[in-house]
Amino acid sequence: MSLVDAFEQSATAAAATVERVARTSEDIAAAVARIAPQGPVAVADPLYLPATLFDACRRLPHAFTVRTRKAMDDCVVGITDAFAGIARTGSICVCIDHQDSGTVSLLSRFHIAVLPVENIVERPSDLFRPDRLKGDGLRRNFVFITGPSATADMGPLVRGVHGPHRLHILVV
Amino acid sequence: MASPAPASESPRAVANKSSKRSLLAAIRMALRIESPAVRHNTQTFNRNRYAATAALPDYNELKDRARAIKESSIANLPDLITTLEASVKRNGGHFYLAPDAQDATRYIADVCTRAGVRLVVKGKSMTSEEVGLNHVLQGRGIEVAETDLAEFILQVADEQPSHIIAPAIHYSRERITALFKSRFKTDLPLDTGEELTRFAREHLRQKFLAADAGISGANLIAADSGSIVLVESEGNIRLTTLLPPLHIAIAGVEKIIPSRTDFGPFLELLAASGTGQKLSSYTSIITPPLHAASVLTKDGAPVPQREFHLVLVDNGRMKMRQDPVLHEALYCIRCSACLNSCANFQTVGGHAFGGETYSGGIGGSWEAGTRALEAARFNELCTGCSRCVSQCPVRIDIPFLNSTLRQRLNQRDAGKISQLFSTALADDGDIAPLQKLFFGRYDAVGKWGSLLAPLSNWINAIPLTRFAMEKFVGLDRRRELSPFAKPTLVEAARNGVGRVSDPKAKVILFADIFTNYGSPARGLATLKVLQSLGIDVAVSETSADGRAALSQGLIATAAEQARRTAELLRRYIVEGRDVVVIEPSVLAMFRLDYHRLLTTSDGQLLFELLRNHSFDAVEYLWMFIQGTGLEPAKLFPASRHPLGKRLFYHSHCQQKTIGSAPATEALLLAAGFEVATSRVECCGMAGSFGYKKEYYDLSMAVGQDLFKQVAESEADGPRVLVASGTSCHEQLQAGLKRQVFYPTELLDNILQTG
Repeated sequence: MSLVDAFEQSATAAAATVERVARTSEDIAAAVARIAPQGPVAVADPLYLPATLFDACRRLPHAFTVRTRKAMDDCVVGITDAFAGIARTGSICVCIDHQDSGTVSLLSRFHIAVLPVENIVERPSDLFRPDRLKGDGLRRNFVFITGPSATADMGPLVRGVHGPHRLHILVV
Repeated sequence: MASPAPASESPRAVANKSSKRSLLAAIRMALRIESPAVRHNTQTFNRNRYAATAALPDYNELKDRARAIKESSIANLPDLITTLEASVKRNGGHFYLAPDAQDATRYIADVCTRAGVRLVVKGKSMTSEEVGLNHVLQGRGIEVAETDLAEFILQVADEQPSHIIAPAIHYSRERITALFKSRFKTDLPLDTGEELTRFAREHLRQKFLAADAGISGANLIAADSGSIVLVESEGNIRLTTLLPPLHIAIAGVEKIIPSRTDFGPFLELLAASGTGQKLSSYTSIITPPLHAASVLTKDGAPVPQREFHLVLVDNGRMKMRQDPVLHEALYCIRCSACLNSCANFQTVGGHAFGGETYSGGIGGSWEAGTRALEAARFNELCTGCSRCVSQCPVRIDIPFLNSTLRQRLNQRDAGKISQLFSTALADDGDIAPLQKLFFGRYDAVGKWGSLLAPLSNWINAIPLTRFAMEKFVGLDRRRELSPFAKPTLVEAARNGVGRVSDPKAKVILFADIFTNYGSPARGLATLKVLQSLGIDVAVSETSADGRAALSQGLIATAAEQARRTAELLRRYIVEGRDVVVIEPSVLAMFRLDYHRLLTTSDGQLLFELLRNHSFDAVEYLWMFIQGTGLEPAKLFPASRHPLGKRLFYHSHCQQKTIGSAPATEALLLAAGFEVATSRVECCGMAGSFGYKKEYYDLSMAVGQDLFKQVAESEADGPRVLVASGTSCHEQLQAGLKRQVFYPTELLDNILQTG
């Protein structure tokens, strides 16, 4: 199985959804518009993909950039890029050094992550090797995100606790 | 449901279990109130872990690497601390090494006071529980909001954690609803997990947005970079470390490993061993202070430079590091596999099987190391069944740690009378209370019992005797005692067991004390079945293997018995005989525990020799049959068994750990039996555990799972009960009032019909 197929299978098993999209600003925005619920859309500047790739997303209705705590608390959709995907676990790695990706990927109820297909690696341990992903896993502040936030502390499994209740991954 | 428990039955009231009386009160409380939720939740974790670790392609290699990294990290800990201090300061953070709990809490409270903190949000941290941080902060007038939902429940209920990764595992959804309704006086619907979660999220979101400081723990810390790993599923730790301008991480010194490049093996291992996932929802890798999140000031203004403090806690750990045995506990990565795979833990949870902070099999060493030896008294609930040993991702020999704690507690507890007996019953250095001596020296009890049989059995049948035994050695009078055998296995084998001419193989059948004095029939059946295949069988003298002594913490006695037994068997092995062992707990001694007990260089050679030449009786039969191309269906056709071919097989806990159980199932299936198997970790008897007066109820409660599985398997008709361990026999007989067979007894029955 190819890395991207394995990634899609694992991510789906972890209750994320995965869609393959052409790497253009318009295609990404169209995919967002198709799937995102109504409400304010926070767009974090991409760190690994060219900033222009999110231009069309920034023009979506309800897209916003002024981020007070209040605004972020009300945000429904959050768009970030992901600098790595993990085939075995279906995780994405989102860099949180960057101004907004950390909060946007966490405080939105519906997180949409844009993942460059060439950055899918096999195992989580690949992030800690200097010869993979240009060693960025060893330098960055980041989070492995595996499906939406979840808890079983209240009895049955509930998705969507302090973080998003949905995670949608656009592989570009 | 909502009626509050009497005060004596609240978890807080039984948190300190430094006396036996309080330990027993905690068990009663847990069995009455917490058992159903704990059982359901731990068993779910347990199943998920088995599935997740089986799916890890390099599970054993990951365990080896993780163990090696932890071993070298603890060995080099002083250097790693120095390196880490430099890294944290280089990153712009503050570093503080706290010698004890009081100092750690004082430092953190000072930092908060200086920064004018009024509200702290906290991620789950067992170390902060250990040092009692919340109490100290609240004493300074600082509000503390626990944000992990389980910790939030406990904060509302004012209880201590009952599990190291799922602290409120003892709460069912219904009990949480009742708790929230009574404490929050709300009209909101709180009758589903979704509603409860939404309620808690809204409540806590306000805290996050208003917090002045965030306090987290750390799963791992890299010395070379100051990076920390934080594993969670809810997102509360990410918020704790990202939103407030001040972040304090508190962690035990043992969490340090050399480098960020060492994180690799731990992530999947921790997730698989803990929650049974490939990875938890969020695994953060951060090198604080984070410079991001300037967008999220309370009023929209930019956040000034963020402040970070790493507070490392010693609190007994550096002393544990010097301890010849307990240092192994410092390798623990707090995954909870040892809790979830433990039958006793599944039944009562960590409020009974745990101390004020740490719980389960590994918890005793932690309480002893960070608090006091007496705080580890709950380690009594470790039966030594060994199911955790193969589940621990860093291969900690938890039962041996607990035997060692028991040895140290014995020395403290021993009374004058038992010291007299000790001289007669135990080796140098082993002093123990009478009960421990009685159960630890079953070899002596069995020897005299069999010598004096049937008189000894008549005496045992007198109610007054049982009353006295209960009173003086704590042997529960509700337990049936197997009669002492006359003749013993050794005596019976001496009289008229034929020799095989032109043998195809030669073995020595080890006359362990349990078979010899307690159930020679299964020994004789094994002998006859082996001989029927043309195998020459010699029966050894009986010899105490050390299992009983080890389980009671009589380690010096166990070591001496191990030496004698190993030397006895060496003589046969060098003659070219493999050792056939009937009692699985004895084989586990040969394969696992003798490594610890035979410590000299000659002893280690002896251990290797014995390990490589010892086999479970049915495991040996199965290997022999496969090696010679014989057909079990012809040798032992199940259809000829007088009681039919439907059976229920329960393998012994230690047999599962050493991997000798599947052979029995395979042979029985190949012979044509229709086999249902138990799925429990342990029957609950676990050697002498279930015989003890104070643990009888717990032992029977553990057994309920097994009894239920038998009943389920018999929905379409009865089955013959088969078990490999002596104590499993006793437990099944006690629970189901039916005869139980040893596997070779079935095979022998079939031979008799031919």
